[in-house]
Amino acid sequence: MYRFPILFFLFLSAACLNFSCGPYRHMQKIESEESCVLKLKPDFSRVIYKTSVNVIGNHISGLLLIKYMQDSSTRIVFSNEMGFTFFDFGFETSNRFIVHQVIPQMNKKGLIKMLRKDFELLLFRNMDSTKAYSLAAGNLIYHAFPQSEGINYYITDLPCHQLIKMQIASDKKPRMEALIYNNAPDNPPDSILIRHLNFFHLTISLKKIIPLAPE
Amino acid sequence: MIKTITLSLLLFCGFYSRGQYPGYTLLDHPETAKKFISAATSATGSIQSDFSQEKTLTMLSEKINATGKFWFRKNDKLRMEYLRPYQYLMILNGGKIYIKDAQKENKLSAGSNRVFKQVNRILIDCVSGNMLENADFKPRLFESPGSFLVELKPIEKNLTSLYQNINIIIDKKDFTPTAIEMYEISGDKTIIRFQNKLLNVQIPDSVFFIP
Repeated sequence: MYRFPILFFLFLSAACLNFSCGPYRHMQKIESEESCVLKLKPDFSRVIYKTSVNVIGNHISGLLLIKYMQDSSTRIVFSNEMGFTFFDFGFETSNRFIVHQVIPQMNKKGLIKMLRKDFELLLFRNMDSTKAYSLAAGNLIYHAFPQSEGINYYITDLPCHQLIKMQIASDKKPRMEALIYNNAPDNPPDSILIRHLNFFHLTISLKKIIPLAPE
Repeated sequence: MIKTITLSLLLFCGFYSRGQYPGYTLLDHPETAKKFISAATSATGSIQSDFSQEKTLTMLSEKINATGKFWFRKNDKLRMEYLRPYQYLMILNGGKIYIKDAQKENKLSAGSNRVFKQVNRILIDCVSGNMLENADFKPRLFESPGSFLVELKPIEKNLTSLYQNINIIIDKKDFTPTAIEMYEISGDKTIIRFQNKLLNVQIPDSVFFIP
């Protein structure tokens, strides 16, 4: 007797999860200058962040160095506090990605792919304006840049003066979001929080620690 | 022309024969020096010092520097506290490892992370004088007028994928380490230098306490 409402509820929940209840569905496509977000690109030219990574009860900390190289590529190196390098990734101008170094314990295809996507979002890479579009949601604009898999969103205020957050999403729902604090022009952001919204609940928090010594 | 080539070859051979570390000579029969170092370091019951750490990222032409305080007490108690520009604390005590960073504290038992344990054992070995007995490495001993250089080449599988070699510079005056140099496979290196050393001072248990 009570089985029908329960089954109906389960069906509705499954349908919501699988089809159309994502946050982007109710947003309206609007005319906007998608490229306005480019001027909000954080300046990571040379910076070190104290980094904490938490995933399924495990915690690892270290230092993350981001540096724009003279050949216009970007290098991201993560080491522990005692100087030992965990990984060294290179992001080339032609959207090429190079693993310069990774310790055997982190040399997992899925992990490297996930980190690559996270850093590409932060570094404002793969932003093809010919495929881009914008969505309105209250006082926010979602600047959407479709990727080979999923969509990268750069979320700004209405006048496109402030970058509120960034997201990596499937067609329906966000899978990761990155919040940037104190993103001033010509100065690396003070801190960044990356949160994965899948069941791993991986979080990466970055806090700027050092004005690096002059080159 | 021939004279120039001959001179260059002679100079090259001259430098090469001194060994790969400028100012140091490889000891062909290091047993005496080994015994000497072991005997001298066994007289050191504790070390308290400042340290500076310099990581060089070769391909990126970058250096990352840090400073802190260091304590060691025989046989297996060590505390390294990074103070600037970031805070990080590591205590090794009786096979247990305690880590505290800005966010969390972590306790690792001796068996929980083999590589981490191996790397931390190097630190203990370096200051306790047991570096030549560590079976994970093949040691070579070099000598200069003021110091010894112990080169440790990893032979254990986990360590060979991480390090080219680890060098320890030992001051001949007091037979304590003045620097530890860690050369990674990538060519990056980290050098920890010890300054303002105090030997055989009383260091209370509380310094090495793992909560």
